[in-house]
Amino acid sequence: MSESKHKFAFYLGCIAPNRYPGVESASIKAMKKLGVELVPLKGASCCPAPGAFGSIDLNVFYAMAARNIVLAEQMKMDIALVCNGCYKSIWEVNHKLKHNKDLRDNVNEVLKEVDMEYKGTINVYHTAELLYNDKFIGVDKVRDSVTNPLTGARIAVHYGCHLVKPHKDREFEQEAMLNTEHPTWMEELVAALGATPVEYRNKMQCCGAGGGVRGYDIVHALDIANEKLINLKEVQVDALTDICPFCQLQFDRGQIEIKEKFGVSYDLPVLHFAELLGLAQGMSPQDLGLDLHGISCEPFLQKVL
Amino acid sequence: MAEKKATTKKTETKKDTKKVAPVKDDVKKQAPAPAAKPKAAAAPAQVGSTIKQEPRIGVFVCHCGTNIAGSMDIPAVQEYASTLPGVEYVDNYQYMCSTPGQSKIDKAIHDHKLTGIVVAACSPRLHEPTFRTATKEGGLNPFRFEMANIREQNSWVHMHDREGSTDKAKDAVRIAVAKAKLLQDLYPKTVPVEKSAMVVGAGVAGMQAALDLAAAGIKTYLVEADTSIGGRMSQLDKTFPTLDCSQCILTPKMVDVGRDQNIELYTWSEIEAVEGYIGNFDVTIRKKARGVLTPKEAAARGIVGGGCNGCGDCDAVCPVVKPNDFEVGMKPRKAIYINHPQVVPLIYTIDFNSCIKCGLCVTACGSEKRAIDLESKDEFIKVKVGTAILATGYDIFPIEKKEEWGYKKYENVITSLEFERLICASGPTGGHLVRPSDGQTPKKVAFVLCAGSRDNTGTGKPYCSRFCCMYSLKHAHQIIEKIPGCVPYLFYMDIRSFGKMYEEFYYRIQDEGAKFIRGRVANILEDPKTKNLHVHADDTLLDRPIDLDVDLVVLAAAIQPKADTNRTRKLFGVSCSMDGWLLEAHPKLNPCGTTTAGVFLAGVCQAPKDIPDTVASAEGAASAASIPIHKGEVELEPYFASCIEERCAGCGMCVNLCPYSALSLVEKEGRKVMQVTEAKCKGCGTCGGFCPGGAIWMNHFTTPQIVAQIDAFLLGGEQ
Amino acid sequence: MARSKGYPEALEKKLHDQRYFADESNPAFTKDVKTISRTIPQMCYQCGTCTGSCPSAPRSTYRIRKFMRRAVLGLENESLTDPDLWLCTTCYSCSDRCPRDILPTDTIMAMRNLAFKKDIVPVNFLKTVQAIYSSGHGVPNNDVNRAAREKIGLTRDPPTTHMYPEYIPAIRKILDHYKLKANADRIVKEREG
Repeated sequence: MSESKHKFAFYLGCIAPNRYPGVESASIKAMKKLGVELVPLKGASCCPAPGAFGSIDLNVFYAMAARNIVLAEQMKMDIALVCNGCYKSIWEVNHKLKHNKDLRDNVNEVLKEVDMEYKGTINVYHTAELLYNDKFIGVDKVRDSVTNPLTGARIAVHYGCHLVKPHKDREFEQEAMLNTEHPTWMEELVAALGATPVEYRNKMQCCGAGGGVRGYDIVHALDIANEKLINLKEVQVDALTDICPFCQLQFDRGQIEIKEKFGVSYDLPVLHFAELLGLAQGMSPQDLGLDLHGISCEPFLQKVL
Repeated sequence: MAEKKATTKKTETKKDTKKVAPVKDDVKKQAPAPAAKPKAAAAPAQVGSTIKQEPRIGVFVCHCGTNIAGSMDIPAVQEYASTLPGVEYVDNYQYMCSTPGQSKIDKAIHDHKLTGIVVAACSPRLHEPTFRTATKEGGLNPFRFEMANIREQNSWVHMHDREGSTDKAKDAVRIAVAKAKLLQDLYPKTVPVEKSAMVVGAGVAGMQAALDLAAAGIKTYLVEADTSIGGRMSQLDKTFPTLDCSQCILTPKMVDVGRDQNIELYTWSEIEAVEGYIGNFDVTIRKKARGVLTPKEAAARGIVGGGCNGCGDCDAVCPVVKPNDFEVGMKPRKAIYINHPQVVPLIYTIDFNSCIKCGLCVTACGSEKRAIDLESKDEFIKVKVGTAILATGYDIFPIEKKEEWGYKKYENVITSLEFERLICASGPTGGHLVRPSDGQTPKKVAFVLCAGSRDNTGTGKPYCSRFCCMYSLKHAHQIIEKIPGCVPYLFYMDIRSFGKMYEEFYYRIQDEGAKFIRGRVANILEDPKTKNLHVHADDTLLDRPIDLDVDLVVLAAAIQPKADTNRTRKLFGVSCSMDGWLLEAHPKLNPCGTTTAGVFLAGVCQAPKDIPDTVASAEGAASAASIPIHKGEVELEPYFASCIEERCAGCGMCVNLCPYSALSLVEKEGRKVMQVTEAKCKGCGTCGGFCPGGAIWMNHFTTPQIVAQIDAFLLGGEQ
Repeated sequence: MARSKGYPEALEKKLHDQRYFADESNPAFTKDVKTISRTIPQMCYQCGTCTGSCPSAPRSTYRIRKFMRRAVLGLENESLTDPDLWLCTTCYSCSDRCPRDILPTDTIMAMRNLAFKKDIVPVNFLKTVQAIYSSGHGVPNNDVNRAAREKIGLTRDPPTTHMYPEYIPAIRKILDHYKLKANADRIVKEREG
């Protein structure tokens, strides 16, 4: 691939680069193979965490998110990101600022102090959206890029919340992505990798980590995650895939905490879709840093490699 | 301002108006005596008498209680009005529409020799007729009246801007006075009314309206889109709160409709075109190709004793199987079919979209009846009617759009209409309520009320569908009655049991053991193994979330206007409200009328109604529709266009533009000029606005009148 | 907010007046919640779709519907002092399904904003602020991860504020503009010494 068809400023967030770096490297390499170049967004910070910051002071939340957006505006590039929480902050603040002059003025008053101005010149995308949308990549191209199909693996999808909900405020070009009750677009992507997507009870339930609850009341947060793990156990899957590193943390590290606190264990490997895509395109588990995961991916890897 | 004024005075229009008749000066000369004579073919150039009379306008400002007075300074508006040139008399009153208010107008006309009246009050839609009558009482021509709307377009929308609304009221009064000074005497045209009526839609509303009209001696054309009459009510099992069987009370009415000498029934038909106006509507009915002849049609083709007798021999041999819409798709039908055995008329219909023309039915029908014609085509029938009633009914909102409840995804989630067919003795299961997934009898049934109603999300309907509470209570009763031990759970927000004996019915159903849970259903999940359903909600009275495991879920889906409503209403020139229901002339005082004279509404097409309300509305519409017919003639507003022949170049562009086909070109004194058929003209002004030569005169909306209004607005009254 | 009866403490507590009195309602609270949330909490008709959708409700006393009611009635104190306020995971399921097109989640966020103004806030929220102030990241990098990054061919630190700390002063300026760091430090110190 000589030159990429599409270029995006790659907004990393916190948990992907600082806990699951495989998500970062897999995204860059896999997307490159699919004609999308992810260019580092220098100096980006935390999105900021929508639960923590939004709860304290929404004005700070808007201003901090706007700063990240302005960095991309300065690069004259749309943003691509890999985390639902970041999507909520970056996409939603961008959308709000574009449509509300009062908010934009307030934010720009603050940004002026740091010699920045929000102009509203770029768009924000989740990489999952780029993968699903034919305009950028599309399921067929994803399927064509697979060199190591994940045949035989039963994989369930955790959609998470902040990419798709509330659907009435989202503006995805694909109707399928606006379905928040029984979506199947991620399952299409999973199937494109050669794996078998598996449905399970209450698929659209939250992981329990958001809104600061994981920090505020850890057992409450884990109990929500545990409910999903119980439902997943019912259908016997080899792995759970997500598109949000924070959800991934909650299910991956969370399983260790659940074992500790509730005395139940599942040993269910949890992988970001970028990691799955990397594997299917032939990246090695080592290249993906899968050894950093709290729950060993070995049983799953043995099945697919 | 001065500059602007100068510029305006220089404009061509202004000069033109001065030169050519009719001009302001001429108008000013007119006497209170008849100016535009009724039926006078004379061009308006001749309008006006030679007796010179300066305009003397009376202005009356209405308080409308506090509706207007609460938001603006009435004395200031009155004071301002008195300073306007041409205004002779000003007054105000708490309710101008009341007897004392109207008498003020009457008295002032006499005392002050007024030539025109302005009332600043509500919308002309509400009280223009009232004040015209008052003007007439005072001895003036009723069209010497002009209304300034300072309520709907002012006080109601600027409730918190007293100064602004007062200024706006002054503008409105000034504009109205400017027009009032130029008003002319006009005379309504009287036209005879055809002694026949049309009813569109033969559900219970249309049937009742047709029966009433027929009983009043009026020939009535009843047009139904489906193959048989009866509508939604014929799909229902029992009816609340009396629990009488829908078929038992409806079927006799259907038979009555079928045999009434005054009713001409057109099923499998729709309205193709409507022309004309009250008293004289020319309606084209499209009789869709049915493929089956009635005995009468057969006789007309010389097949003696032939035509369909409903024997069903054709049905038995037809190889094409399709879902039966009448049974909400839960039962099969053939390509040649009837909805159910009790249909009126008992005539089969071929669904030509699925018919393979194998001819088996033709053979089965035999050489005597010879009822089947596989080559039949749509026919168009033209009828003339005096008035029309729309009774087009409703459809079920496609509730699968509310994905959280899983309709069409989970087999055991059904709609209330499906429930009606399943519980009905003549339905697909012979009246046994079963789970679609396995045919088992349910033991726990959840009812989801307000499914898509009272929903402001855009996916759903913002209104209350108005009969779901009551039929869900009835469903609960039927379950308890038919399935021992089965428990109905009704998830509700409010039980709206407002009708006669409805609250008592609620009491009874609660006593019978139905469980009421006050909470809207958040979502439903299916157990993939058992196909049971988990209903998630908040029991708001208990303040606990619920996960209720049930066998069957019934969605009391919202209703919406019938798909074809929009097309039909446009043909009749009827408006609709934001939610798509047809718009009545006045929600309280004229609920059956529409803004199109001679067109009336019956039943649910106007808004959700249960059966008692539907029948009442149908009888109201029938009564209203019979009045012009019994009177024999109607007055038309004299707002028609007329041609100033000396200016008409005979280009004919207006003829093509006229949406009412009211204009034509005629030969006069060796050249072509436009001529108006006044009875057809609705005074819309399309022609007048377009005419390149300014040759069209719009009565009551004349160019000088409109220019005067614009000038009054832009120039602050200094003309 | 209930009336005091002047009884001994134990009895005062047992017998305290449970009724709702008009003076408990602060209309400004309703308005503030509406303004900050940018949604329409006043339109709530208490159907419970929110609580029925809520993943926190089945495992706690948190009732989003109750908070909506409090927003409508202006029950400020009751809203802000209820520890359940912090149990919303912001999953937006309630907002996704609300038939009145309200965003109850954002109503909760607005109430949390108002609580913070009264120093009512769980410490974990403030610690995120402190972390971002110092590094730009809510979840900062660590040495194990740095080594792992290097192993898979990434830079030891990501090309964020971690690799370019020169971007941090601007972030601090923004946070200081709202005095967020100072308030966070003060409250954490008060709680933890």
